Amino acid sequence: MMKRGLLTVMALALIAAGPALAQDRDFYKVGVITSLSGDLATGGNVTKRGYDLWAQAVNDEGGIEIDGKKYKVQLFYTDAQSKPDQGASGAERLATQEKVDFVLGPYSSGVTLASAPVLEKYKIPMVTGSAESPLIWEQKFKYTFGTIPPVNYTGATPIETIRSLEPTPKTAVILGSNDTFSKATAEAFQAAAEEKGIKVLKFNIVPTGQDLTPFMSAVKVLRPDLVAFGGHDEELINLVKSLRQINYTPKALLMHYGVTEPAFVESLGADAEGVFGGSVWTETVHAEAEILWKDAMTYAKAAEDAFGVAADYTQAGSSTAGIAFQAALMKIGAAPPLSDDERDALVQALEEIDLKTFYGRLKFATEGQYYHANIGITPLTVQIQNGKTVIVGPEKDAEADPIYPLKPWDQR
Amino acid sequence: MLILLPQAIVDGLMIGGIYITIAIGFSLAYGVMHIIDFAVGEWIMLGAFLGYYLTEWTRIEPLFYLPVVFVLFGLIGYLFQPVIHRVLSGKKGNPLLMALVFTFGLALMFKGLGLTIFGFYSRSIPSNLSAGSLSLEWGNFFVTIPTIRLVGLIYALTITVLLNLLLKKTDFGLAVRALAQNKEAAGLMGINAKRTNSWVYGIYVGISAMSGVLIGCTFSISAQMGAKYTVLSFFIVVLAGMGYLSGVPWAAILLGLVQSFFLIYFNPGYTLLAVFVILYAVLLVSPKGMFGKGV
Repeated sequence: MMKRGLLTVMALALIAAGPALAQDRDFYKVGVITSLSGDLATGGNVTKRGYDLWAQAVNDEGGIEIDGKKYKVQLFYTDAQSKPDQGASGAERLATQEKVDFVLGPYSSGVTLASAPVLEKYKIPMVTGSAESPLIWEQKFKYTFGTIPPVNYTGATPIETIRSLEPTPKTAVILGSNDTFSKATAEAFQAAAEEKGIKVLKFNIVPTGQDLTPFMSAVKVLRPDLVAFGGHDEELINLVKSLRQINYTPKALLMHYGVTEPAFVESLGADAEGVFGGSVWTETVHAEAEILWKDAMTYAKAAEDAFGVAADYTQAGSSTAGIAFQAALMKIGAAPPLSDDERDALVQALEEIDLKTFYGRLKFATEGQYYHANIGITPLTVQIQNGKTVIVGPEKDAEADPIYPLKPWDQR
Repeated sequence: MLILLPQAIVDGLMIGGIYITIAIGFSLAYGVMHIIDFAVGEWIMLGAFLGYYLTEWTRIEPLFYLPVVFVLFGLIGYLFQPVIHRVLSGKKGNPLLMALVFTFGLALMFKGLGLTIFGFYSRSIPSNLSAGSLSLEWGNFFVTIPTIRLVGLIYALTITVLLNLLLKKTDFGLAVRALAQNKEAAGLMGINAKRTNSWVYGIYVGISAMSGVLIGCTFSISAQMGAKYTVLSFFIVVLAGMGYLSGVPWAAILLGLVQSFFLIYFNPGYTLLAVFVILYAVLLVSPKGMFGKGV
């Protein structure tokens, strides 16, 4: 009896001491949900680089300044393993056990959609640096924000650029992988193509990780001018290899995310040349910043120094997610740890942000279908030229003329 | 769309060829050692990366490295088998289940190791063959045969024939078959079960690793590719009949054709569903595989 009594007292003491221990913390606890393993590990690790780089840059400056005192940030990771349910339980853990102040969001839309409701429940603000499905913003989560605009906001731009080229592409085959983001991308391409008067001969959602060569053989018979594909890195590489193996070169080949990833050019070499992609940021974009890195080039250099690999728009978007919190915290002047009221104030401050960053203008929509997605930024059409990602549209941002039509595979 | 029929058949055969390469070693290992090796996909992955690095360093056509990969991984498998044997021949608990868990753990470990060493990016093995294709046309019909896939099919058939010859025409093969039939009786006849098992495991690991190189030339590779191929080879081996080696090519080609026809003629979204339905139906009618000759 005695022993049990003692244990109870000790347990009670611990429970009482818990919040007290949490009280005197002089750094921000930042939760990060992302996929460090599984199918989406590539993108997940790219977001990790973005978040790490931001934390490092902020801490190098001494931290986030609140009322004359600087508070550092510390990241607490949870691996979503590319599975939405793991993302959700990770969010639960960050909220209840780690008791984080705010969260930097997952890679991939599927995981974001699963994690957002959990954070909503615990009223913890999240800014994600890499979720592009329109479905997220249609849910109108109060506590979730995103720095990359959804694909239905960005997807039309590359189609417009390609439509304006000579000889005008008249027909298209559009396909997407069977996941939240890729499906949305394919649908955005389809909508844009139909609106611009490009006839869509075939539209299909295909299972992830399939050998698409037979499908492309069927596409070859239709001889479309444009082949547009929504998918992730590995699938894009496989699709190009399939097209090459059946020796069909469409006039234009458009993919969305993944083209800007260094692995795409590295694995495909000359076959990557001329592939179009959609993006919202490259290191050459004109962006004068008022916070942290002073422009896109400075950021790109910092990223290269830190990881030895060029940064793409997902990594940049992820770093910008950190910047969004940084700016909002400075605005409301809330020192860690954040109370519930301060978190609500943080959401309010995020909604009011209108900031120039190295990534471009940061402005979250506060109503409509893009609710809480960043709509301050201009979507770009990019193309792989000489192994580099080059902006080829819209006209006012273009750095080079698009290569069109594609050079046949066997003449490279 | 009749015009696509020859192409659908050819594509199906080619996909089948790749499936043969990933499943044949697995079937052999199961037939002899009665071990379901969940690490098969990881052996494929490791072989693929060896092929990738050898090619990157020397810029020689990766297919020339197939024998090197086979010998190296054959040796690794040979040396590694006693560890599995210990688990499999344990006295406590359920050794078969333990072996299953063991190989599953192995798969996880290899995957983690791969992620740490090779990183998370997808890569592809540069091969001159993966660029070319043969085109045949007669009248309205046409067929495009990607060279690398043709090589894959030829390679798969060669391996199948060689394995069959090895099993049916040599003393070693006789020993292996005897072991598969009855371990104790074979032991009484003077067959060294341990060493023979080690050779079989070595051959299986070597073949799987070689397939990895071929897959790397045809598709892309990453540290996480294993799971997909483990599932596929498991499917094929179950369809063929567990441990029934001669059934593997047929099962592989059947799956390849199903996939190809679905992708071309029906909704591509249902391809995997079709594969599952066929597997389920076959198992329902004949639980010992398509030919009723599995274990």
